[in-house]
Amino acid sequence: MKSLHQDWLANVRNDLLAGLVVALALIPEAIAFSIIAGVDPRVGLYASFCIATVMAFAGGRPGMISAATGAMALLMVTLVKDYGLQYLLAATILTGVLQIVAGWLRLGTLMRFVSRSVITGFVNALAILIFMAQMPELIGASWVVYAMVAAGLAIIYLFPYLSKAVPSPLVAIVVLTALALGMGLDIRTVGDMGDLPDSLPIFLLPEVPLNFETLRIIFPVSATLAVVGLLESMMTASIVDELTDSSSDKNRECVGQGVANISCGFLGGMAGCAMIGQSVINVKSGGRGRLSTLAAGIFLLLMVVFAGDWVARIPMAALVAVMIMVSIGTFNWASVRDLRQHPKSSSVVMLATVIVVVATHDLAKGVLVGVLLSGFFFAHKVGQILHIGSMSEDEGRVRTYKVTGQVFFASAERFVNAFDFREVIEKVRIDVSRAHFWDITAISALDKVVVKFRREATEVEVIGLNEASSTMVDRFAVHDKPDAVEQLMGH
Amino acid sequence: MNSNTQDKVMACVDQSHFSEHVADYAAWAARRLAAPLEFLHVIDHHPEIGSGEDHSGAIGVDAQEKLLSRLSSEDERRTKAAREQGRIFLNRLRERAIAAGGHSVDVRQRHGELAETLAEQESDVCMIILGRRGEAAAHDQRDSGRDIGRNVERVVRALHKPILTVTADFREPQRVMIAFDGGIVTRRGVEMVAASPLFRGLPVHLLMSGKESREAGKQLEWATTTLTTAGFAAAAALIPGDAESVIAKTVHQQSIDLLIMGAYSHSPLRSLLFGSKTTDLLRSASIPTLLLR
Repeated sequence: MKSLHQDWLANVRNDLLAGLVVALALIPEAIAFSIIAGVDPRVGLYASFCIATVMAFAGGRPGMISAATGAMALLMVTLVKDYGLQYLLAATILTGVLQIVAGWLRLGTLMRFVSRSVITGFVNALAILIFMAQMPELIGASWVVYAMVAAGLAIIYLFPYLSKAVPSPLVAIVVLTALALGMGLDIRTVGDMGDLPDSLPIFLLPEVPLNFETLRIIFPVSATLAVVGLLESMMTASIVDELTDSSSDKNRECVGQGVANISCGFLGGMAGCAMIGQSVINVKSGGRGRLSTLAAGIFLLLMVVFAGDWVARIPMAALVAVMIMVSIGTFNWASVRDLRQHPKSSSVVMLATVIVVVATHDLAKGVLVGVLLSGFFFAHKVGQILHIGSMSEDEGRVRTYKVTGQVFFASAERFVNAFDFREVIEKVRIDVSRAHFWDITAISALDKVVVKFRREATEVEVIGLNEASSTMVDRFAVHDKPDAVEQLMGH
Repeated sequence: MNSNTQDKVMACVDQSHFSEHVADYAAWAARRLAAPLEFLHVIDHHPEIGSGEDHSGAIGVDAQEKLLSRLSSEDERRTKAAREQGRIFLNRLRERAIAAGGHSVDVRQRHGELAETLAEQESDVCMIILGRRGEAAAHDQRDSGRDIGRNVERVVRALHKPILTVTADFREPQRVMIAFDGGIVTRRGVEMVAASPLFRGLPVHLLMSGKESREAGKQLEWATTTLTTAGFAAAAALIPGDAESVIAKTVHQQSIDLLIMGAYSHSPLRSLLFGSKTTDLLRSASIPTLLLR
């Protein structure tokens, strides 16, 4: 009851207006991303309509905008080129199924392993990819195109100083279209890029053979699409959470993305996910509720279907200008300034994520590399927390080693090297009661130390191994009470 | 929870003059229950409502950071103002409650949404006092009726403790009526009234609406006996007719000044579709009403 009212009707006027602003910015994006994927603009526009509309009801984050996205479009290029649109639609449906499964398995919680640096890298890589996708329109183009893009950007960023009541990207598109038509400029228009929607979308089954071969073709693409879609959606959701100081249901969001993609595939649209840039635009324009997302989807379809002839005449240069704005707005510029201040390891993680994504055009690979690298750096850092001191006792007959800190795969070698095996001594006492043995590597390192001492005919006594190795158990459920953690970490 | 401290009476107030009635009734209840009293003022940011003056749709360098800092400084400014105002007016209410005989009166402000906040706080609360009208109604006389229904229903549904909802000026309750339907909620209500010091010494009317039947008679008899055994002067009546009009009529005839009834036993969906008896009753009755969950 409460949330039904709050989600839909608490903010009607702002939601409708913001939805309109978002729809106006979604049109150029949907067209541009269709072109990236290599399909007719119709596919992206239907997708944006369908995903936005379904997500308004099924999503877990009110006020977030989902539609056809660049991150997803880039992953479809090869599939579309080799097998065509029908396989893309099938892959879109499978993507949705995988995302619903991920939602049920509550994989959204895995996002906690994606560090801040990886997220920044992801966002920056996304912005760079969106920018690079505009290159085909710019490289080798006439000066007229450059002039129009520059004029478009000038209008987009300067018009808000005159009035903030009208979306400046719309003003830029209208002005540039009028200019191109009025002066009869011979430049590429949206109509040259393929079919636009001429009717409402209809339900259709993808025309693919239902066999193992099809699955073999679409599964790898779908799996990557599902991962990237969820990653970007989770990130966008936490950005919107932060901006609006409210919370979202991440698992509902996963399932919602899945439902949206399945519906989208049956309506002839390509897979999509949440959009960082558009969601920021929505919140900035005052959109907070589910109504804003629904309005964006409906307005988009109405405008495209009923003004399709005009949309076809928009010069590509105007779209390029809008897309450059999106990429500038998405890029995290502060991260460039922070490169020097931040710890080197986190800068490396961020840069590695960006580089891998830009090189492979696959955000999933970039995130994987980023997550692995953060893991390495973390293990390395924690591995430094190990101190081994020793003192001889009993008139030089016994030496006691005191081990303090974390012993695991990353610090096992340092642990072994800290012992002096060449010392001629009767007995060695190793006190590990203030150390933590995290894994099998740590235990076998200790075994190795014991064996080495025995070879020198030195007797070895290990003290406190039980406490030290209690961290090795895989299930920490029993330890998650405050006093248990205290006991575990403080012994 | 500390079991030594006694459960408190919690009075929910906002910055409208209705809060004074809430304070008076809360002081009365706390005095009779010999319970500590706490005034709660909830500052709601309304994160679900946007501040939309910028429809430019253009995002430039550091768009996200700039938006975040703009939105958070807006929230900060609003909260600061609300906090200071709230503190001053809460202290005024506190003085008022102490003057009316409250012995341990505390104040508290919390961020969040009213229903959620109350649900979080209710564990060590024995009774909640709530105004059926609030700031929203004070600003906007037109739809106050509808507003009452929605807000009160939301809050009441979120809670599991008795809730005294008040509307008008304080008048010390002299004659109490239980709208009895024989259901588990009101039966528990009768037991509660019998056991609690809140209504001790006041005559209690038991009213049941509907057809005469053996079952109803038995139920009513049980309730009367329960109350009489506990030392109350109890009078029972079974009046045919629909609950709303019967209750309204009896309240008027018997000059009842506090009504006790069960609230929102049906699903939220049903009350959305068909309306809710509880909401209708709350809207028509002008006397304080103790809602049982």
